[in-house]
Amino acid sequence: MMQTLGPILNSAVVIMTPLLLAATGGLFTELSGMLNIALEGLMLIGAFGAIVFTHYSGSMFIGILAGILCSMLLASLIATVSLYLKANVFITGLAANLLVSGLTVVLSFKLFGNKGVVSFVNIPQLPLLHLRWIEKIPVIGNLLMGHNGFVYFSWLLLLLCNFVLYRTPFGLRLQASGLHDQVLVSLGLRPAHYRFIAFLVSGFTCALSGAQLTLNLGAYVPNITAGKGWIALVVIFLGQKRPFGLLVAACIFGLADAFSNFAQGSWDIPADFILAIPYILTLVAIIGVSIYTKRKSRIG
Amino acid sequence: MMIRVERKQRKTITALSDSIGVMIIVCIACASIVLLALLLSNDPLKTLKYFFFGSFQSMYYLGNMINSAIPLIFGGLGVSLAMKAGLFNLGGEGQVYAGAFVASILVLVMAPFGIVGAILALLAAIGVSSLLAGISGMLKAAWNTNELITSFLVSNIVLLVVNYLIAGPFKDPNTNLIATRRIPPQFMLPKIMPPSNLSTALYFAIIAVMLVQIFLYRTKSGYELRMYGLNSTFAIYGGISRSRYQIGPMMLSGSLYGLAGALAIYGTYFTSIKEFSSGMGWNAIAVALIARFRPMAIIPAALFFAYIESGARNAMLHSDVTYEISSIVQAVVFLFVTSTVLQKGSIRTRRNL
Repeated sequence: MMQTLGPILNSAVVIMTPLLLAATGGLFTELSGMLNIALEGLMLIGAFGAIVFTHYSGSMFIGILAGILCSMLLASLIATVSLYLKANVFITGLAANLLVSGLTVVLSFKLFGNKGVVSFVNIPQLPLLHLRWIEKIPVIGNLLMGHNGFVYFSWLLLLLCNFVLYRTPFGLRLQASGLHDQVLVSLGLRPAHYRFIAFLVSGFTCALSGAQLTLNLGAYVPNITAGKGWIALVVIFLGQKRPFGLLVAACIFGLADAFSNFAQGSWDIPADFILAIPYILTLVAIIGVSIYTKRKSRIG
Repeated sequence: MMIRVERKQRKTITALSDSIGVMIIVCIACASIVLLALLLSNDPLKTLKYFFFGSFQSMYYLGNMINSAIPLIFGGLGVSLAMKAGLFNLGGEGQVYAGAFVASILVLVMAPFGIVGAILALLAAIGVSSLLAGISGMLKAAWNTNELITSFLVSNIVLLVVNYLIAGPFKDPNTNLIATRRIPPQFMLPKIMPPSNLSTALYFAIIAVMLVQIFLYRTKSGYELRMYGLNSTFAIYGGISRSRYQIGPMMLSGSLYGLAGALAIYGTYFTSIKEFSSGMGWNAIAVALIARFRPMAIIPAALFFAYIESGARNAMLHSDVTYEISSIVQAVVFLFVTSTVLQKGSIRTRRNL
């Protein structure tokens, strides 16, 4: 039992990290009152940028920074068009996703002459953290140790996010812009500014989330995010739009995913159905939330 | 008399400012093509030449360009119909694909019944797609679930399921393509501009535009539908059934998408190739947005998108860029098309969205 459970738990932590990172950034846009469906595209461009620039610069640090820059640039483009040119944010988000899926193929063809999987031999392995004294603790040691820096950074970021959202004027104003933006206007503040910053934050975290996917693999696979941006949205809804709720929701998805990987290996489920799981879960979550809100409004 | 003149003037002004908005977007699209060619191609002039003029070099290219506008016309009509009722059908991708798949499979089963069988297969395809879109309408009616999101998600699931069906149980073993079996030749729509692929499906598309126009502006249901879209509270107050105009327009919208898929099979592809319809649903939405959801404006908007697509294909064939540049250009159009500021001066604001 422990022999199979240990690896499943461990891989669940690795799987949930991109979700948690993307959801953390998405929480900012969500709370600011914008449905940010571009998480997927932001992740993908971050993933592509990080590995390509790591390849050319030889430094993982520069690569990740460049990935972040790409993603934040795209985020600011979406934000500018939706907030200042007043376009429908859902459509601009879709446009961003379309743009990235086209752009990554075109660039990968231009740079590497290949539209498919590009593997990089010179990408170093991500260093893993091992602390002997924690590892000795049964179960928890296995859970906490032996991960790459992204995993620990995602936890740190979650704490930071919790602090910023609930303990700083910025965070409270950001939430106000989602709850009732006229309040901000009456204070002489501009909701659009807070939303813009929220988009930048989501670009930042999504880039990290994507970078973990490609750098962990040492290769770029077309559409490597495979719906993870959408799951990140569900994580936000399931997590009740609270930082620690995100952690719980991401955990559930991580476990489900780790288990389904295990199941795919053990049983014979067509890959297309596995790929459909994120969308089915999102659908169920969205319907669940709408039933819940309808019930609540009826009582209230 | 005065009022009528004023109204006429206002109409002209709206039409003008609308077309200025469209012109800006067309310009942005063209600028992005030029930029992409300069950045990506070793011979940008050649690439641009094929991109912009390749579609007119012969009847073959011209016919194929018009042919690829057909599904966009159907899809664009579908999006517009739903949008006129204030609903957003984002599930076009899945609905086209499902319609095409059902049509291509059922026509094989129904082949012994001749033309009746083909029509039944077509109706079944329309039915399946309209149900897929209808799910979102029903969810909206029952729990006020956002139809924008549900239609998108349902469509993504459908895409994967159909992919599985085409590659698995229904794959034609006699071909190297991942595709279903070819439909019998007697059910293929006749070509009207050989050697291109343009078929009589074009006539169906034009008829569909006229029917939707008449339905929306000349029938009682169409009037109620538009009223519901403009102000649902007012419409309900006026005694209009809420669920009827949440589910009905979605189903009509889905059936137009299904028709797009089925006619693409009967007229152009003759078999469901894996992911052959990829992009049709998205582009149809962009077409509808550019046309500002007016049925008559859908035809030119669809031709514009088909022009970009076939331009990219020609540039790929004769130059050194990949086909995916078309999706970048289309994404750029998408990005700006709902911007109300770019359409500034427009008297109508975001009433339609």
